[in-house]
Amino acid sequence: MSRSWKLWVGGPVLAFLVLIPFLELQGGYLQTLGFLTFLYITMSTAWNILGGYAGQTSFGHATFYGLGAYTTCILTLRGIPALLTIPVAGMIASLYGLLWGYPCLRLRGQYFAIATIGVGEATRLLMLNLDDLIKNNSLLKGFLQKGVLTGGATGLMLPTPPDIQAYATAFYYGVMGLMFFALFVSWRVKNGKFGLGLFAINMDMDAAETVGVNTTRYKILALMLSAFLVGISGSIYAQYVFYIDPQTVFGFPMSIAMVLMPIIGGIGTLIGPVLGAVFYIVVQDRILTANLNLGLIKLSLSSLHLLVYGGLLVLIILFEPKGLLGVHHRFNIWWNKRKRRSLAATEKA
Amino acid sequence: MAILLEGRKVSRNFGGLAALLNVNFQVRSGEIVGLIGPNGAGKTTLFRCITGVHPPTFGRILFKGEDISKLMPHHICVMGITNTHQVVKPFPEMTVLDNVRVGAFFGKGWVRGEVKDATQEALRVLEFTGLTSKANFLARNLTLPDRKRLEVARALATRPELLLLDEVVAGLNPTEVDRMIRLIQQLRESGITIFMVEHVMRAVLSVSDRLIVLNFGEKIAEGPPDEVARNPQVIEAYLGKNYASGKSHYA
Amino acid sequence: MIVSAILLAGLYATMSYGLALIYGVMKIVNLAHAGVMMWAAYVAFILIVHLGANPFLVPILIAPVFFVFGVLLQRYVVQRVMGAPPISSLLLLFGVWLIMQNISYLVFSGDTKAVTTKYTLMTFQISGISISINRLVVFIVGVLALVVLRQFLGHTYMGKAIRATAQDKEASKLAGINTERVMETAFGIGTALASLAGSLMALIFAFDPDFGRSHLLKGFCIVVLGGLESMIGVALGALVLALAEALSVLWLMPALQDFVSFALLVIVLIVMPGGMKELVDRLIRP
Ligand SMILES: Nc1ncnc2c1ncn2[C@@H]1O[C@H](COP(=O)(O)OP(=O)(O)O)[C@@H](O)[C@H]1O
Ligand SMILES: [Mg+2]
Repeated sequence: MSRSWKLWVGGPVLAFLVLIPFLELQGGYLQTLGFLTFLYITMSTAWNILGGYAGQTSFGHATFYGLGAYTTCILTLRGIPALLTIPVAGMIASLYGLLWGYPCLRLRGQYFAIATIGVGEATRLLMLNLDDLIKNNSLLKGFLQKGVLTGGATGLMLPTPPDIQAYATAFYYGVMGLMFFALFVSWRVKNGKFGLGLFAINMDMDAAETVGVNTTRYKILALMLSAFLVGISGSIYAQYVFYIDPQTVFGFPMSIAMVLMPIIGGIGTLIGPVLGAVFYIVVQDRILTANLNLGLIKLSLSSLHLLVYGGLLVLIILFEPKGLLGVHHRFNIWWNKRKRRSLAATEKA
Repeated sequence: MAILLEGRKVSRNFGGLAALLNVNFQVRSGEIVGLIGPNGAGKTTLFRCITGVHPPTFGRILFKGEDISKLMPHHICVMGITNTHQVVKPFPEMTVLDNVRVGAFFGKGWVRGEVKDATQEALRVLEFTGLTSKANFLARNLTLPDRKRLEVARALATRPELLLLDEVVAGLNPTEVDRMIRLIQQLRESGITIFMVEHVMRAVLSVSDRLIVLNFGEKIAEGPPDEVARNPQVIEAYLGKNYASGKSHYA
Repeated sequence: MIVSAILLAGLYATMSYGLALIYGVMKIVNLAHAGVMMWAAYVAFILIVHLGANPFLVPILIAPVFFVFGVLLQRYVVQRVMGAPPISSLLLLFGVWLIMQNISYLVFSGDTKAVTTKYTLMTFQISGISISINRLVVFIVGVLALVVLRQFLGHTYMGKAIRATAQDKEASKLAGINTERVMETAFGIGTALASLAGSLMALIFAFDPDFGRSHLLKGFCIVVLGGLESMIGVALGALVLALAEALSVLWLMPALQDFVSFALLVIVLIVMPGGMKELVDRLIRP
């Protein structure tokens, strides 16, 4: 019963998503929105592997996004085919994850979270000033091309392709595939030995260790897997918009987005991060462009999104740890009870 | 019988405090050894030294002749030693079955390739420990006796050769104590060596082949239960003040 | 250079001690600290620039208001997650911070603001070193607040209760201390210190609704460096950080000043979670 219901809704939705590029609705606006949604679902899902399954809250995931984006731009500008740079971007992000994850994951809970904020901000500042640093160092000067490696605060630009429409469509499907890949990975992890180990770590690290879980290795592997997916997302983002700068791709808001989406949707679940990402994009898209007319007062809602996210976060932590998914679940229970009660009432009558 | 576990001058400091000082001990295969001593004597600390959670600051611990005193807990578990926790530590938001599956997946059994299907193994262990009917409960919803059983079940699922039980009987009512004692005896029959800390004298005296007594981090006596119980030093340190209540435990 | 580092350290210490107090009593990492600093900066801005209040009295005036805010925040929001894993309170206060930021965006827009008073550019000379009067007074107010607080913690019933709770919450409860009241007071004091620091910072730095994040991180760095128990530790930590920043400007690039403090935070967390005290201990008796 419920399965067929899901099929009936899921099928058309999927078909609609696949067809979006052909419908050319609202001048490609929906397509861009779809692209962003898929990208954010990928990142939300990726963050959830470390933050949701293993319970290690990272405020530093923008480092992977940024590194992925920069890897692609730097390599592409040196003549390497852009598509080839995607796996490289993932791998570099993953290695960076190993670099800071190995020491930081020895910290627990709150300390890890704080350290990741530090790592994220330090990385952003480093990237902002990398060119200047290299310029002052005679050994490293060779990495600069026309005096530029990361382009400092101005960032880097990629050349635009001739047929931009077809290019964008190709990326739309590409990132859709990436999203399904991420979801598949997340599903495999959740239902396999790996996920069981991560959950055990999440619940009680010492107990997990004494029943044989190599907690250090598992946490690092989760971080690297997560970083890999986010790095690829960054790479694809860079290729889609042709322009990146450190404040955008390494910025704290990017890290916050990755924390908020899975928590809002339902942390530690498979579908929660998807819900959260969709919610996030919709809020951002609607609110950033909306104006509220209250008689004479015209209130721009353009910067209400933090209020929405922050408020939701507070409510979720206080009342419903499983986020939107948990609310949905409660609603179902309530609904079934009501149905049963009305059924009983009709039987009596 | 072969020596399974041996401690040589095991010592452990916390800051300035010596929680363990030069403790020598041996556990032979197939034995049940009881570890007793007043509160704060260092029993739990000794177990943590063995499992690698708090490695000894000085001294060595040998398992089948191999030095394990510098290994990580998960490594020691995979070699065949695991423990239950005095303060139970279930994975609260996981089902009872999943709790036990963690042990089956990551413990010694899986590595040796004996266990192909961790779920089957977990179900078998649940059957053995009498938790089958609660397999799908979340661990946080269990009662204390069931949580203690879950501790044992999860540890068993790793297929240990040596099982360290830290006060698994404490806090249970007399019927439950009997059930747990029977379980421990069954474990021994299935070939697992047991090293157990216990305050409930009835439990420890009825199952142990041998007792080791700690006081203020030092070993003060060792031997068959009745002999140890007669040892004046032990009576002074352990039963001293409340000999009467100690006696009532015997009854 | 060194002098200005010391003056800045006084300010850092005020800010960090609020964090340390809240962590000590509740084991909570208070991310909303940054939000409080930011709000205090705005309030100071309004009072000084629009209402013409004396810049050096403002911090002392607004601290009690924020004390009440902190007490209410603890009583009605944070208290509800005291039993949950610490990470939930961290996320909760993170949410509060986001809300505070957004309110500032709505009310003040995202423009960078700065408070300039007649003291801003005044300096005086001592044996060839020029010292900004502004910074000197900021330092004095910050340190004065800490001294008052120290007296409070040392000599009043509530102060002693706070210290006892920080040492052992369960035992304090058993000893008849109303730990909920203690936690509210501690959170209030922590918040008041944050507001004090924030309004003082407004006199020195420019700010916007995102203000406070980098200072928060510096605060963590100082707290971990100094250890959580002592005010002197925190003061030393603040001094070390301020000096490290000053040196990084000299030896590296000015733009990397904050990088140094963030990197220091991560390194300190990992290498010496016990702070300088532990390091010294380790060196003295190996
Ligand atoms: N993690 C620790 N940190 C500091 N001291 C500890 C720690 N664990 C145990 N101790 C101290 O070591 C001593 C022995 O404790 P424990 O082994 O738990 O005793 P028992 O299990 O015999 O009751 C006690 O004084 C206790 O306070
Ligand atoms: Mg004990």
